[in-house]
Order: sequence, then C-alpha cells, then structure tokens
Amino acid sequence: MPALLDRRLVVVTGKGGTGKSTISAAVALAAARRGKRVLVCEVVAKERVADFFGRPPSGTQIRELVPNLYSVHVRPREAMREYALMILRYETLYRLAFENAAARYFLAAAPSLAEIVMLGKVFWHAARETERGRPRWDMVVLDAPATGHGLTFLTVPEVFLRLVSEGPLARDMRSMQMLLGDPANCSVCVVTLPEEMPANEAIELDRSLRQHQFPAGPLFLNATFASRFTPPEVAAVTRGGPLLAAVGEAADTHESRASLSRQYEAVLRDTVPRELVKIPFLFERSFGAQAIEKVSRAIESVL
Amino acid sequence: MRLLDDRKIICCVGSGGVGKTTTSAALALRAAMDGKKALVLTIDPARRLANSLGLKELGNEETRIDPTHFAEAKLRPRGEMWAMMLNLKGSWDELVRKNARSPGQAEAILGNKLYQTLSTAMAGSLEYIAMEKVYELYASGRYDVVVLDTPPTSNALDFLHAPDRILGVLDNNAMRIVLGPMLKAGKVGFRLLAAPSSLVLRTLARFTGSDFLRDLATFMMAFEGMYEGFKDRAGKVKAALSSPQTGFVLVTSPNPLITQEALFFHRALEHDGIRTAAVVVNRVQRDPRRHGGPDNVRAIEEALQLAQIKADKQLAERLCETLTEQAILADLDRREIDRLRDTLRGVPLVTVPRLRKDVHDLAGLWQIDEYLGD
Repeated sequence: MPALLDRRLVVVTGKGGTGKSTISAAVALAAARRGKRVLVCEVVAKERVADFFGRPPSGTQIRELVPNLYSVHVRPREAMREYALMILRYETLYRLAFENAAARYFLAAAPSLAEIVMLGKVFWHAARETERGRPRWDMVVLDAPATGHGLTFLTVPEVFLRLVSEGPLARDMRSMQMLLGDPANCSVCVVTLPEEMPANEAIELDRSLRQHQFPAGPLFLNATFASRFTPPEVAAVTRGGPLLAAVGEAADTHESRASLSRQYEAVLRDTVPRELVKIPFLFERSFGAQAIEKVSRAIESVL
Repeated sequence: MRLLDDRKIICCVGSGGVGKTTTSAALALRAAMDGKKALVLTIDPARRLANSLGLKELGNEETRIDPTHFAEAKLRPRGEMWAMMLNLKGSWDELVRKNARSPGQAEAILGNKLYQTLSTAMAGSLEYIAMEKVYELYASGRYDVVVLDTPPTSNALDFLHAPDRILGVLDNNAMRIVLGPMLKAGKVGFRLLAAPSSLVLRTLARFTGSDFLRDLATFMMAFEGMYEGFKDRAGKVKAALSSPQTGFVLVTSPNPLITQEALFFHRALEHDGIRTAAVVVNRVQRDPRRHGGPDNVRAIEEALQLAQIKADKQLAERLCETLTEQAILADLDRREIDRLRDTLRGVPLVTVPRLRKDVHDLAGLWQIDEYLGD
C-alpha cells in the first residue's frame, strides 16, 4: 500500500474541535516539504488554513501559502455556479436556469446539492491535469466537515446515485465514489482527542468509514500529554504547603491529563484498526506557522 | 441558572465539541433538583447524552432517569428528570402520519424515494425535526421545562433557517412553477415539453436526469394539501422559540475559533430578534498562579528544600515548565473570555473550569451545576 504521501486525495475527518484543519495543514506542509505540489481544500463555512500561515484567506481562488502548498475555499454557491457553467457553457443559459425562483426551489429540494457540488469541485481539483497530461496536484487534502456531517459529506455520491442515475452530475459522482474507494489513490484519516466523547466518536466514525469501505488512513490522536512526574513526586509537592500550591496544582493537572491521554490511547489502540499517530499538546501563545511546523514534524513518521 | 428559572424551553446552541450535551443535561438536572419535571432532548447521532447520563440505551421515547441513578450520585431531586434521543426518520414519519389527510396519503409519501432522502439526508432536516419535536413536547404540557441539545450544526444559520429551507421544499406554490408542465403531463411517462416554458426544466434535467424530476413531481403530488398544515405548525414553532418563554444558551469553549463561531451565532440570533439568555464557557484552564508562590526554577528549588522534599535537580525544572505551560493556557483563556464579555455586554456569562475527569454520570453533572450557579 502506498504511503500517505503518494495518495492523490487525503481526506481528514473527525469531530469538531479536534484539530482537523491543523492536521490537514500539517499533512500538506510535510508533503510540500518533500517537494510535492499540494492543494488543501476547505469546505466548512470558515476558512482557516491560510490564517495558520499568516496569509489572507484564499477565498475561491487558489493561492500559494508557502512554497508548494496551496489552499482554496470551496463554497457551495460558487461551486454550483462554476459547475453549472462547466456543463452549460453559457452564462445566459445559467442565469436563465439557475437564477430564478423555480431553480432556487429545485436547488433546495435536490438532496444535499450543496455537498454534491462541493465534493464535485474537490474531485475536479484532484483529477485535474496539466497541459502535458501530468496531474496538476500531487496531493489534494480535503479538510472534511465534522463527524456525522463529515460522513454525510463523503457518502453523498452514494445517496445521490440512489436517486439519480443519469446526467453529468451522476457521472461525476460515480467517478468521485470510485476515487474515494480506491486505496491506491485515496486515504481517509480520522482525527481525535484523548477525551471521552471525541474518542467514542472516533470509534464510531472509524467503524462507519470501514463499513463504507473508505481506505483507512491513520488515526491522529491530537493534543496528548506525556507523563512528566511520578505519583510520589506529585503527592509530595501537592502536600508541600502553600509555597508549593501553584506548582503542585500544575503538576497534578498535568498528570491527570497525561493519564487521560494514556487511557484513551489504550482504548483507541484496542478498538480502531488504524495506525495511531500521537501529536503532543502545543503550548503556543498564538497558533501559527510555527505550530503547524511542529505538528508536521510529529506526523512525518506516517508519511 | 436563576435567569432560566421561568423558561419553558431552553435551547443550548454552539459548535460541536464544546460540551453542549453535558451543559444541557446539567441544566435539566438543576431543574429536576429544584422540583421541576424536566426533559432533555438530544439529537446527536453519537449518543452522547446516553453516555453523559450513564444510560446504556436512550431510545426515541421519553425515558425517566432511574431514581437509583440519583441515589448512586447521592442526589435527591424534588422533581423528575427525563431524557430522550431524537430519531430522525421516526419523527418525520410520525409528522407525516399526523398531517396526512388519509392513511393512503401517508403511505404514498412514506414510500416515496425522495421522501426517504428528505427525511434522513437532506440538509436542515435534523434541525427542522428537532425544533418541531421540542415544540411538541413543550405544547404537550407534560414538562415544566424542555432542554434542547441542538445538533452540531456547522453554522448558526443552518440551524435557524432550517424550517424555511424545509418549508421551501414542501411549498406547493413553488412546486407549481417548476413542475407545472410536468404535472399537467400526468404522473408517469411524462415527456419534457418542447415549449419554451419548460426550458428551465430541460436545463435542470441535464444535471440530474429526468428521473429525479419525475420523483420530485410524484412526491409533490403525494404531498398535495399537506403544506398548509406544515406551514401553520412551523409558524407556531417559530413563535414559541422567539417568545420570552424560551431561553437560548450559547455554549462555547475558550478556543478563539470556537468563540468566533459563538459570536456569529449570537449575531444570527439577534438578527432573528432573539436575545441570548446566557453564555456558558466550558473547559476553562484555571490559573495555578492564583496561589502565588515561586515561579522560577531557583525559587522552586528553594521551596522544595524548605518543604524537605527530596528531589533530583530536574524536578524544579519540570515543575517550572509545567507551571509556565499552564499559565500560558490560562492567559489565553482569560483573553478570550474577556473578549467575549466585551462583545456580549449585558449577557450573563459563566465559566466552567476544565474538570479532572470526563463527565459521564449524574454526580459529574451536579459538579458542573456548582459553576453554572445562578
């Protein structure tokens, strides 16, 4: 099986707040460092990746953030328009068909049309070739929506194809479905935290992803704490009187979080049949390029 | 929270992963402890509430939290606490049966391919049914207060505008504009007319194929006459949610990205004429420096000696590093909370510290209540 670095499409999924955007940016950065041309596609309401690198939002235009690393914000309305124009070719026809009350109704009724065109747009990037027939991007990283919604997003081709079997959208959805199911070219990763709810959701997400036969990428366990004190040390310091109250509390807090990290790492190793990659908690006053750089070093091993 | 005392509906809103479910359950528990009959309604497919309440299964039925759970947590509620997990498909089916003019009509809709997608996979479907359910429970009069743990919607507008979006789909008038030519042509075997009026249809069919349009037409015909009932109902739901009997609680964590989303939610509510009743900031890092004491390696070393703690050289260093790290986290959290307070001037804000353990039982929920206070 090819390494993560050699996949055309890397999908990063997980519960909200687990650090999906961070991991997406870090995977992309690590790949870019090795000379790959990488595009990060963000599909949620707010764009984040450009900001990590101290750059203005890319919007719907592809922008280079650091050498070899590009990002783009895929938004439903623009994606729909671009997509429709690609098929209809004429602006007037587009306006006639799409910019009226009837079409608005149709767009609302068609199941998950927003997700479909956004996924279609991501697929278009992943499949795009240069004039010389080489892939335009060595890797496309899709920063997927949060769990639940994220799975809905990835299964959109399946749902859509149950309803619609002809036409250009159906054709594209079929290609998308093939790419998403192809372990040689695609990898679907899961991001989680060493906390109860995120860990449980990661277990469920992993199960559903495997049920749908998405190629299983690594499980990123983000924001872990490594133990730093022995229990006797914590006990001695916390009982060391008022002068040591502050450091005692700090040590105790640290160890309680380290113990949670250990506990959930063990649970996840037991239940999720994926390579587990630990990423240490980062204490940064501002979360920028430096932090992403650190995370990207932590994940180099699985690339 | 005292200010929520006279509310009949409490909606906890916010991004995913901020402790919305736990906060909702804690609010319902407080109401039950105060002698009310309280129900918490969760919609999360990840079954988090069941988890939080130490319940193994939580069905689509209203379930009373077993008094033995309270006894185990050494709690004596003067009221009752109930919980329910929303089943999306089941609730939609129920709604259709209730609104259908005949059992035949209900069956025609329930069997329609498009309906099955609408009720399970369509964006806004979950949010819509959640609001509908919360209204039903409220209107039933069976509970003094219903707490809604809203779906982990990626943004506020998706939640607030879900009813409009779903009603838009069910709207018969809109249907007539689009599918008029097709309806005239009859149910099955219709052909897209060559007349200019159907250019829109023909163009749309180039995307989805005409099968989909036919399914849509069949669905719309099956739905004939039911839209008014839905619309009427949605109006009532909206009125109840924006009345003073309902309180919206913004749940957030001190993460800047999450507070941004919370503020966005707040503005969206305001735009719809709804005031945020309270803000709960979960998982706040407590500042160990509030205890005072040494904060550099040298001074910590001396303090360790003074306390006669046998320590290797690096213990002071490790302690100092840990203290510094947590001070950074506390500073970041404080900065974010201040910003939130500034922006949400006048809205009561409470902070809940990061707890040493995950909350997964009533005792844990009750511990949170201490911070939610009044």
